[in-house]
Amino acid sequence: MAENRTDEFLERIQGLFRVADAEKLLADPVKEAITELLAASAVRLRAEAASVLVRTADSGDLKFLAATGEVADRIVGLEIPAGKGIAGFVLMSGQPLVVSEPDDESGFYAEVDKTTGFSTKLLLAVPLRFRDDVIGVLEYVNRSSEPFSEPFTPAEMDIAAVYAEAVAALVNAHIGADLMCELSRRIIRDSSEESDVRAWLRSMRENSTHARAIELAALVSELSEKGDAEVELCRTLLESLIGYSSSTTGRLDLA
Amino acid sequence: MTHPIDPISQDGASNFLPDPEWLSATGRGVTVAMIDSGVDASHPDLSGRIAEEVGARIEGKKVTFSPVDDGDLAGHGTACAGIITQLAPEAKVASIRVLGASGSGDAQVFLAGLEYAVKQRYKIINLSLGTTKPQFFAPLHDLLDRAYQAGCIVIAAANNLPQPSFPSIFSSSLISVVKSEEPDPLKFRFHYGEVIELTAPGVSVRTPWVGGGYRTLTGNSFACPHITGLLARLVEMHPELTPFQAKSALYAIARSNSTENG
Repeated sequence: MAENRTDEFLERIQGLFRVADAEKLLADPVKEAITELLAASAVRLRAEAASVLVRTADSGDLKFLAATGEVADRIVGLEIPAGKGIAGFVLMSGQPLVVSEPDDESGFYAEVDKTTGFSTKLLLAVPLRFRDDVIGVLEYVNRSSEPFSEPFTPAEMDIAAVYAEAVAALVNAHIGADLMCELSRRIIRDSSEESDVRAWLRSMRENSTHARAIELAALVSELSEKGDAEVELCRTLLESLIGYSSSTTGRLDLA
Repeated sequence: MTHPIDPISQDGASNFLPDPEWLSATGRGVTVAMIDSGVDASHPDLSGRIAEEVGARIEGKKVTFSPVDDGDLAGHGTACAGIITQLAPEAKVASIRVLGASGSGDAQVFLAGLEYAVKQRYKIINLSLGTTKPQFFAPLHDLLDRAYQAGCIVIAAANNLPQPSFPSIFSSSLISVVKSEEPDPLKFRFHYGEVIELTAPGVSVRTPWVGGGYRTLTGNSFACPHITGLLARLVEMHPELTPFQAKSALYAIARSNSTENG
């Protein structure tokens, strides 16, 4: 009897997740917003194309998350191994860079260009920072109008760095949305395999980007499992902490 | 705000000016360590100039360095080595590659690279990398102090981004550089009292590139090797130059440049 009820509950949950379609609801709109921002900033920087690479895991591999321009469809999803290419260097060094190919040279971004058929002559790459971490790289490629061979300028590097802040916030939102999508996919696929979800959560916990938040959540959850008194203690502690930190930003009344 | 000692009104700076012979020095007998993406030792501009090529490997939680022969993974190191050897054509470069060692935190790997260079007692260390992660502030500060005490002159590229990057913001134990549009490497500037004190050429710099060609590059990390190259000349003339003396000499040279140029 109890088992039937659980099955029924799981089916309802799976149904809800199917209806909600996390991908369409959460991840796609964020990705569209990133692409819009790329297109707008590319116009501002007189760039032929723009793209965003995000770090896929702690290994430092990079993957094209979004792109504009002629070969956008071929670029999105491509991966660059850790530490390879200009993007790999920008990710590790946190340094914005401009690379231009003199007229007498040819072929520089060999690997990606080979796959896409694109010819990179000019490149402006800026790190995407979120909090203390570099989470990806924003790139602008070639000029959209005459003079086509004019390298990106230091002033344009500064403008790109400002766009990078907005893009980084969106990329971070996309990482969160992606996590929800993955969880949703797992629940729809087979929610009775609890160990599967647990293994996924464990792998997430090992990812430094989410590690701190998940650790905190796990601690609170562990403590609250012990009983009502612990739940109360936890709540009181957290509430007073929140109260304290918001009071320090305003005026402290010590009277 | 004025500084207690206003360097602009101090003619004492000229006392620190090195003998002008350094201008014609070539960096002979000096090896510069470069912590970067590796180097294309087969580039015609770098032929015979590379003293050592090591790369980071992750073994468990430890980062070790061993000889590598697969060159430059990103092109950046080749460009920086090219700038160093353009300014100090007889200096040698020891390439300490910290890129491409996956499976560990980036900052940890470049910290290990810096530690390796200090342990090898390289007199001049060029560092184009940094980190904004606060947990590395203290270990890097400690390591830079050890470098200073060991007599290693560390030159780091700063970033112009809103977040401070370590170690470039440390003021006492290293020399930090940002790019300027001035093309003449000898006309670098020293901005006393600012977080990043030196400016050097870093806009549209023509450099060697992986595969034998050339690129035009812009970024602070290309300003940094300009100062490194000049220091290689100074160290040729004064092999016992300390990090403190190096900074004083750079200050005096920049001061005399700006006086000459009005």
